[in-house]
Amino acid sequence: MLLSVRDLRMHYKTKMGYVKAVDGINFDLDSGESLGIVGESGCGKTSISMTILRLLPDNAEFKSGSVFFDMGNGPVDLVKLDESQMREYRWRGISMIFQAAMNSLNPVYRVGDQIIEAIQNHFPQVPVDKAREKVAELFELVGLDPSRMDQYPHQYSGGMKQRAVIAMALACDPRVIIADEPTTALDVIVQDRILKEIRKIQKKLNMAMIYISHDIAVIAEVSDKIAVMYAGKFAELADSVTIFKKPMHPYTYGLMHAFPSTVGEKTDLVTIPGEPPNLLNPPKGCRFAPRCPKADELCMNEEPRYIEVEKGHFVACHHPVKSGEVVQFYEQ
Amino acid sequence: MNNETVLKIENLKKLFPAERRIFTRTKYFVHAVDDISIEIKRKESLALVGESGCGKTTTGKVLVGLEEPTEGRIIIEQEDVTPLLYENESSAKRYVLENYVERFSKMTDEQLKNLKGIDGIYAERYLKLSKDETKFISELLENRRVRVWQLRKRVQMIFQDPYESLNPRMTIFDIVSEPLNIHEIGNLKEREDKVAQILIDVGLTPPETFMFRFPHELSGGQRQRVAIARALILNPSFVVADEPTSMLDVSIRTGVMKLMMRLADEHNMSYLYITHDLAVARYMSNSIAVMYLGKIVETGPTEEVLQNPLHPYTKALLAAVPIPDPEQRRGEPNIKGSVPKPINPPKRCRFFDRCPYAVEYCEKNDHPNLVEVLPGHKVACYVVAGEAK
Repeated sequence: MLLSVRDLRMHYKTKMGYVKAVDGINFDLDSGESLGIVGESGCGKTSISMTILRLLPDNAEFKSGSVFFDMGNGPVDLVKLDESQMREYRWRGISMIFQAAMNSLNPVYRVGDQIIEAIQNHFPQVPVDKAREKVAELFELVGLDPSRMDQYPHQYSGGMKQRAVIAMALACDPRVIIADEPTTALDVIVQDRILKEIRKIQKKLNMAMIYISHDIAVIAEVSDKIAVMYAGKFAELADSVTIFKKPMHPYTYGLMHAFPSTVGEKTDLVTIPGEPPNLLNPPKGCRFAPRCPKADELCMNEEPRYIEVEKGHFVACHHPVKSGEVVQFYEQ
Repeated sequence: MNNETVLKIENLKKLFPAERRIFTRTKYFVHAVDDISIEIKRKESLALVGESGCGKTTTGKVLVGLEEPTEGRIIIEQEDVTPLLYENESSAKRYVLENYVERFSKMTDEQLKNLKGIDGIYAERYLKLSKDETKFISELLENRRVRVWQLRKRVQMIFQDPYESLNPRMTIFDIVSEPLNIHEIGNLKEREDKVAQILIDVGLTPPETFMFRFPHELSGGQRQRVAIARALILNPSFVVADEPTSMLDVSIRTGVMKLMMRLADEHNMSYLYITHDLAVARYMSNSIAVMYLGKIVETGPTEEVLQNPLHPYTKALLAAVPIPDPEQRRGEPNIKGSVPKPINPPKRCRFFDRCPYAVEYCEKNDHPNLVEVLPGHKVACYVVAGEAK
């Protein structure tokens, strides 16, 4: 297994107490596979990637868990490495495409130079002309004209900046790439091109990918497996077809029926009542219980375990939705 | 009554100067909204969709008086409100002069009597004043300030970002009752009752627990409900909703969408629903208008346009929308390049540079007019309309 995350916990310390942003996350990822993490804002999706890469702010407190990463010479627990050892893994092992490409490029440096900097940081022995060749190659790969290498970010359009950021993430041939909402700020036609590009490159280079988004439709397009995240935990994880066709967690079920589509029959959309819980003090039992129509005494008091119900299908629910069952959410 | 037109936009244009010159006239303009016409009937909603920068928000802003129109006429409930949308009196005067007086003065009495619609109403008034132009102008501009107030009451707006559109220092009661304050409606007791009622209507129950809280104590969905309450408290006939759900999470979004639909029905209200999300537009509108670079390229009943798109741009846009179903594959959007800047666009079809079906005819002629190809379904394309081969 390329990447195995086990019982990962990371909390943010605030004046009011601990915000339990990542609270017991487990998943495995193999080469060539892509995992989509879907969840609402503030559920901790981005915090997972920050915890894996150890790019945490000062008020973050790592609680427990391990991140086993295997570059071919046996699994290494990234959590136990010190900062200088961790550097070896960032970018070369796991790299990241950040949200808001507009802000992740430095406006006063040429785009090409910024990528060369990333390469030389990790491979100091590479001469500049070799690095330039590599950048030209990367530009071709992501569909940018290599002659634009010597331009500044303001000369790029939104879609081109996003492509440049993808090129940068690929600069050191990473094994795992984490894409955090890379298309959120883009228009649909540009988004479509970027999504296809990312998927194509990921397949071509046989990389593993973690794609984070709040948009189920986007996740459906790029992922082999989907994890549905709710309030710091995974509610359900399965291959993408199962998640869409046979969701077992009532939250997943609700999300699938709340999402409008332009194709197919115009169905009645579901409203999930209430709001996601405050992660400062989440509900005692199942975190979805206060909003769940199937919740009972047990759900309110006891937290459901995250178990494998079928091969590759994990659910954390006391009363999973059976196939064919119609869940009626209360109208607000 | 149900078929009554609430809003009619005729040939609206909004240009922004693209450069600043001191001694010569500005030559370059951003054609944000370029000659669009829209009609919305009571209780019905029109979705204005398009990519960022296509002019959809500008259209909304002109309607609520946040931007002055450059050209065109806006009619709300059988009243030409365009003179009220200009900031200063002289622009309003010039508008009346150019649009009515100059035209009317060339016509005979017979012709004036035969005018239909809004022109007919104004021609009648013109005749009543026995063609006295100064009197006519002053009558149309009479009490302009007061009528602007009244217009604001009938047209309201809901903004995209509920985190920025509510004043953080005001309580929910202050925010929702502010329109009542401004328009001096009711005393404190009546205002309280009204606010409580509207908060119940938008699902913030019990209202007493929300009234004296501040926006920061509410979640995104609740804030957007407050913004809706504020827009509806004056019982407007028409609301411009600028991406009201795009900042909300999926599980909360549906609730707000359903609420807006229910309120439109209960309050006899229409929406101009501005969005970039075609799937949301499908649920929120009866008809749809697709905008590209300041022009409406396709319009018609929502379901008809989405299931049977005719304009190459609409087709590409629809093909690019991800489908929330991993088993369904969608087509390849057939479109070239990226959106050009709308500064002094060349006199040809706006979509020419990106269109896969463009022929010589499209380049030689000005932007095509909307042609009704199927009942109610209009397209601005020479190729689809069969004019170009």
